[in-house]
Amino acid sequence: MSDILQFAVLGFSTGAVYAVLGSSLVSIYVATGIINFAQGSLALWGVWQTAALQANGTLVLPIGSFKLTDGPTDTVPALLIGAASCLVWAVLAHFLVFRPLRRAPVLGQVVASVGMMLLLQALVTLRFDADTLGLDPTVLIPMPILPSDTFTLAGATIAVSNLILAGIAIAIAAGMWAYLRFTKMGTATRAGAEDERALRLLGYSPDRLAALVWGATGFVSGLIVVLAAPAIGGLDPTSYMFYVVPALSVALVGRLTSVGTVCAAGLALGALQQILLFGTTKDWWPSWAQAGVGDAIPFVIVVVALFALGRSIPERGSAGVGRLPRVSVPRLRPLPVAGAVAVAGLVIALTSGTWRFSLVMSAIFTLIAVSVVLLTGYLGQISLATMAFAGAAGFALSKLTTNAGVPFPFSLFLAAVVSTLLGVIVGVPALRIRGAQLAVATVAAALAIEAFVFNNPSLTPYSGALIKDPSLFGYSLAVREGTNIITLRFSYLVLAVVVLLLIAVARLFGGATGRAFLAVRSNERAASSAGVDVAATKLLGFAIASFLAGIGGGLIGYSSGQLSAASFTVLVGLTVLAMTYVGGITTITGAVIAGLAGPLGVLYLFLNQSLDLSKYYTLIAALGMLLRAVVFPPDGGPVQEWLAARLPRRTPALATGAGSVTAGSVTAGSVTAGSVTAGTAATSAGTAAASTATAPSAGTTDGVAASAASAASAASAASAASAASGGPADSESSADSDSVTAADAAPSIAARSADAR
Amino acid sequence: MPAEPDSKQRLLATAGVSVHYGGVRANDEITLAVDGGEIVGLIGPNGAGKTTFVDAITGFTRYTGTVELGGTSLDDAGPHRRRRAGLARTWQAGELFGDLTVAENLIVAVEGGGVRGALTDVFGRRRRTDQAVWNALELVGLAELAEHRPDQLTLGQQKLVGVARAIVGATQVLLLDEPAAGLDTEESVAFGGELRRLAASGLGVLLIDHDMTLVLDVCDRVYVMDFGRIIATGTPAEVSADERVVAAYLGSAVTT
Repeated sequence: MSDILQFAVLGFSTGAVYAVLGSSLVSIYVATGIINFAQGSLALWGVWQTAALQANGTLVLPIGSFKLTDGPTDTVPALLIGAASCLVWAVLAHFLVFRPLRRAPVLGQVVASVGMMLLLQALVTLRFDADTLGLDPTVLIPMPILPSDTFTLAGATIAVSNLILAGIAIAIAAGMWAYLRFTKMGTATRAGAEDERALRLLGYSPDRLAALVWGATGFVSGLIVVLAAPAIGGLDPTSYMFYVVPALSVALVGRLTSVGTVCAAGLALGALQQILLFGTTKDWWPSWAQAGVGDAIPFVIVVVALFALGRSIPERGSAGVGRLPRVSVPRLRPLPVAGAVAVAGLVIALTSGTWRFSLVMSAIFTLIAVSVVLLTGYLGQISLATMAFAGAAGFALSKLTTNAGVPFPFSLFLAAVVSTLLGVIVGVPALRIRGAQLAVATVAAALAIEAFVFNNPSLTPYSGALIKDPSLFGYSLAVREGTNIITLRFSYLVLAVVVLLLIAVARLFGGATGRAFLAVRSNERAASSAGVDVAATKLLGFAIASFLAGIGGGLIGYSSGQLSAASFTVLVGLTVLAMTYVGGITTITGAVIAGLAGPLGVLYLFLNQSLDLSKYYTLIAALGMLLRAVVFPPDGGPVQEWLAARLPRRTPALATGAGSVTAGSVTAGSVTAGSVTAGTAATSAGTAAASTATAPSAGTTDGVAASAASAASAASAASAASAASGGPADSESSADSDSVTAADAAPSIAARSADAR
Repeated sequence: MPAEPDSKQRLLATAGVSVHYGGVRANDEITLAVDGGEIVGLIGPNGAGKTTFVDAITGFTRYTGTVELGGTSLDDAGPHRRRRAGLARTWQAGELFGDLTVAENLIVAVEGGGVRGALTDVFGRRRRTDQAVWNALELVGLAELAEHRPDQLTLGQQKLVGVARAIVGATQVLLLDEPAAGLDTEESVAFGGELRRLAASGLGVLLIDHDMTLVLDVCDRVYVMDFGRIIATGTPAEVSADERVVAAYLGSAVTT
C-alpha cells in the first residue's frame, strides 16, 4: 500500500504536466475552437530555453541568439524567461497561424496545428545546437528548481517537489476556471465561442481575448514543464512534444469544457501510469505487457471517454464546418498511365545506388500517402495513425517470414491483413466522433501501437526484426545483391505493386466506394437517409487505408531487410500527412507529390546530397504544411481571395458577370476551388467559365446546350491559361480544366444518359 | 421508376409513436397510416413536432411505439436500413452531397456499397448508371442538370434533387419534409402535379408542408398536428372546416 502511495505521488510530476497542458487545451478550445496539437512542443522550447540559460546564459531565438548573462542565469529569471518564450510562441502561433484559420475546415486547422508541432520540434533540434549554445547540447540538463526535500508518510517516501507540482497544477487550473467563469472577459471569451459577431457588437475583440488565452496558456504550459522536467527526466528533442497526447486524452475526459475535470484526470493519469510502472516490476505481471503500458493508457482513456461520455452524432448537420478541398474523380486513361509507369521504370533503370533507392522509397511513400488521400481526403476521417498501420504490417512481415516461413506474395498480403484488422479497430472511435477529436484518438492509438508493439522487447528483439528476402518461384527478388544496395528486380517489384494498387484505388474512387465515401464526407445524416451505411463505410475506409499502408510498410521492410521502430514513428506519420496535404489531399497526384517529397524520398536525397540540407527536412516539411494550410489552403485562402477580389476591377468583361447575385457567388466559389499556383490569367479564365456555367441553372432548358458549349470553350481557355502559367490543372466544377470533360457537356444529355460514368 | 407496390395497400403504419426531448413530449402517441397510391398531408404550426415525427420514423431520433412498412417492423433498423427497405425521406434544407454531381447524388442511393461494392469497383466492369436514376431525374425535370454540382443549382432545383434522390430505388413510402418551401407558385403547382404522378405509380406519400394551397390541393387525406399530437384528421375539406384546426393553424395561416 505504501508503495502504491509512493508511486502515485511520484506520478504527480507527469500528472501535473498533463493537467496543465490539458487545461490549456480546453481553454484554447473554448476561446478559439482549435485543438492545439502543438501545446507540448511549445513547452519543449521552454524547457530547452531554460536549460540553455541555466547552463551559460544563452537566449536562443528562432534566428540568432545572444548571451543574456555572463555565465549561468539565475534560477528564477531563467524559469520566467523560459516560460515567457512559450508565451511568445503561443501568441505568434495565434496571430500567424490559427487566427487566419478560424473559419477554415477542421482538416486545415488540424494540419496547421500539427505543422506548428513539427515546426517547433524541428526548431528546437536545429537551434539548440553546439554552435548556438557554445557547448555540447547533450550536456544540457534541466536543473532542479523545486526543493528536493522528502518526508515519510504511512511508510512511503514522498518528494515535496511532486506535491508542489500538483499544487501548482491545481492552482493554474483553478485560475483558468475562475477566469473563464467569473471575470467579464472570461465570460466574453466563452460567449465568443458561441457567437463571435455578437461579441464584436458588444465591443469586445474576440481576437484579443483569444490572444490573451493563447499567451496565458503558453506561459503556464512552459512553466509547469520547466518545473517538472527535472523530475520527469532529461532533455530530449521530442519527448515533451508527445505529452500533448495524454493531455488531449484528459481534455476529452473533460469533454473539452471542464477545466476542473481535466486537471483531476491529468493528475490521476500521471499517478496511474506510475502505479502501473510499479506493477510491471512484479513477477505476476505478464512479460509481454512490461513495456509501453503507460503509453497505451491514453488511447484506452480516449476510447472510454468518447464512448462512455461522448455524445453521439449531433442531430443537426454540424454547422460552420468549412469547405473541404474539392474532389475531382480520377479518370483512368490507359495511355497517360502507361506513359507515367514507363517513365518511372526508365528512371529506375537509369539510376543506381542511393538515387534508385530514394525513387523506390518515393514509390512506397506514394502508396502510403494514397492511403491518407483515401481516408482523409475522400472519406474525411482525419487519421494520424497511418505509419502505425504501416509499421504493424512490417513487424507482422518479420514474424511471418522468419518465424512462420510464409513465402513471398502471401507474406506481404497477410502482413497487410494484420494492419487491416488493426485499422478497423482504430477506426471504431470514428463511429462516434469526427474531425479533430478523431485525430486525437488516432494519434493516441499510434503512440500506443508504437510503445506497445514496436518498442516492446518481448515482441520486437533489440537486435531488430529481421525480414527474409522475397523470392518468387525460386527467383530472388532481394533488395541487395553483392554491393548493389538496390536491385532492379526489387525496384520493379515495388513499382508493379504500387502501380497496381494505385489503379485499384483510382477505380475505387471512380466507383460506388468513392461515391459512398464522398457522400459520407459531405453529409453523414443525408448519407444514411440515402441508404448508405455510414458506420460500415467508415470502417471500410479504415480497412482499405490500413491495407494500403500495410503493403507500404511491408515493402519498407523488404527494402531494408529488417525493421526498426524508427521507420514508423508518429513523427514520420505526421510528416507523411503534412506532405500529402501539401501535395493535395484529395488527389492521387497529390499522393505522388507526397511520395517524392516524403521521408527518404527523392526530395530528401536531393536536400541531403546536393544541398546538404537534410537536417532541415522536418523544418521544410513543417513550413510547407503551414504555408499550405494558412496561405494556400486547398479550399481557397487569402491569396486566392485576394486575387478574386481584385480581378473584376482589372477585367472589364467580368464586371457584368459580377453584377448578378448568382453569378457573383459562383464566381467566388470557382476561384476558391481553383488551382493554387495558377496565375491571374488562369483565375480570370476560370471565373469566366464559371459565370457562363451558371446560365443553365438560372435559365430555361432550351439554353442548356448553348451555354454548356460556351462553358466548355471558356473552360478550355481556363485550362490553356492554367497550363501556360504552369499551375496544376485541377480546377473544379464547371470550370473543370479538363476541357474534354466540359466539352462533353455540350452534346445532348440524352446521348450520354445511357452511360453516365 | 420506383418499385410498384399494389395500390390501396397499407404501406406505412405507425402506432403510438412518442418522442421525448428531456421533459418535453415532442411527439405524443402519433398513430397514422399511409396507403399505396395515396398522398397524405401532415400539417401543423411551427413546432408542432412534424419534423420530429419524420426524424423518428426514419430512425434519426429515438422513439417509443412501432413503425411498420408493408407489415414489417422497422423499429430495430437504423436509418439506412429503413431507406433500403423503402421508407425514404427528404430534408428541409436539401442536404445534398456537395462533392457529387446531381446524377451521382441519386446513384449513391441505389448502388450497393460495402466490401462487395469495393471488390466490384476494383475487379468488376464499370457499372452503367441505373435507368431508375434517369427516370427519377426526368420525373422532377432535372435530367439536363445531371452532371452539375448541387451548388450550381437554385434552391428549388436542389430540393427537387432531394426528392429525386428519395424516390430512386425500392422506395415505397416517400416522406417529404417541406419540399415546397423555397419554390415559387409556378414551381409549386408543377411540383403538385409531379406528386400526383408519383402516387399514381403506387407510391405512398406523406407530405409535410406549410404551403396550404399545395397540401389541400393534392392530398387525399390530411393529419393535423399541434403540440406533438394529432388533433384532427380527414379529407382536406373536412380538415379545413374543423374549428380546432382553424384555431390552431389555418386561421393564422390564412391571414398571413
